[in-house]
Amino acid sequence: MAGSEIKISFISKQKRGADLKGKVIVITSGKGGVGKTTTTASLGAAIASLGKTVAVVDMDIGLRNLDVVMGLENRIVYNVVDLAHGRCQVKQAAIRDRRIEGLFLIPASQSDNKNALNTDDMARLTKKLRDEFDYILIDCPAGIEQGFENSVTGADEAIVVCTPEVSAVRDADRIIGLLYARSITPKLIVNRIVPYMVVNGDMLSHKDVEDVLSVELIGLVEMDERVIAATNTGSYIIDDKTSKAGQAYTRIARRILGDPSVPIKEPVYDQKGIWGKITSKFGIRK
Amino acid sequence: MKNGFFGKIFGTGKESTRDIAKKRLQFALIYDKLEVSDEILESLQKDIVDVISKYFEIDKSSLKLDIERQDDLSALVLNTPILSAKRKFG
Repeated sequence: MAGSEIKISFISKQKRGADLKGKVIVITSGKGGVGKTTTTASLGAAIASLGKTVAVVDMDIGLRNLDVVMGLENRIVYNVVDLAHGRCQVKQAAIRDRRIEGLFLIPASQSDNKNALNTDDMARLTKKLRDEFDYILIDCPAGIEQGFENSVTGADEAIVVCTPEVSAVRDADRIIGLLYARSITPKLIVNRIVPYMVVNGDMLSHKDVEDVLSVELIGLVEMDERVIAATNTGSYIIDDKTSKAGQAYTRIARRILGDPSVPIKEPVYDQKGIWGKITSKFGIRK
Repeated sequence: MKNGFFGKIFGTGKESTRDIAKKRLQFALIYDKLEVSDEILESLQKDIVDVISKYFEIDKSSLKLDIERQDDLSALVLNTPILSAKRKFG
């Protein structure tokens, strides 16, 4: 994984034409704890693995977490507040991921408060980042306050992450309204779907969520314990090739890159043989 | 969980928690969207007063703007005593 390779070359500017600007995508949800940060890390890793340069930006000022989810917490020198206030260059603030070529993290500041940045700072920052990267993924903090305002400033697109729970769906609806008010048409990821619960009528299906929110889907991610294991070690779920969540994120990344041949795969309840079928029907198997 | 299997087989008619969740959400979102902040209501009241004042002499202090909610609809209700109509426009 983290090799001992030393690489001096930084962001390959010459690869990108002067008129070629990066795309800014904000990943948001309203409610906390639905998987925004994991989604940002996974999509960043997946898009970079597909050959693009990506900066993932942690906008949760004071409560940074993207760094630890990505396993880059020991390498922070400068942060997004330093960069936005001109105290460092992009190449100083962006931590290069040594495992995936083209992936960079711009961490949040842990000591500043939520109002350390304003929308003018963000407009300048996103403009700067567009010159350096193909994709800029903004990890938006929970809530609808300044952190949200900052995160959507300068965004071209938005991805709303929602779990199939009433509280998450309601907050997603609020966020979607706020995005529309800023002329951004968001796309939806339904995260942590448990297919057997949906089949048993104990969980909202992705279709239910889609109906209620009436917004276009970009992907469906199944509940996957391996996501937690990956987070424990600071590795990427997309590198776990047999993980359903990892596969889902890779598919979403390809859709973001505009590959229309990647359909949205619906999580299915794969009953493990006749016994699994019987026990699950009777609600014995979890 | 019992609902799923027995519900399907025997048609007990007991609604699944999934269906209940969906219905509750649909209602909650409708109600959420009917909520108007005091700030907006005040601003609306000011605009309405300005428009009505072009045509009528009204008692601005006793004007009352409210949103009345019933089960199936919400209504914007404005109550104002008219002191007199203005003879000339403007």
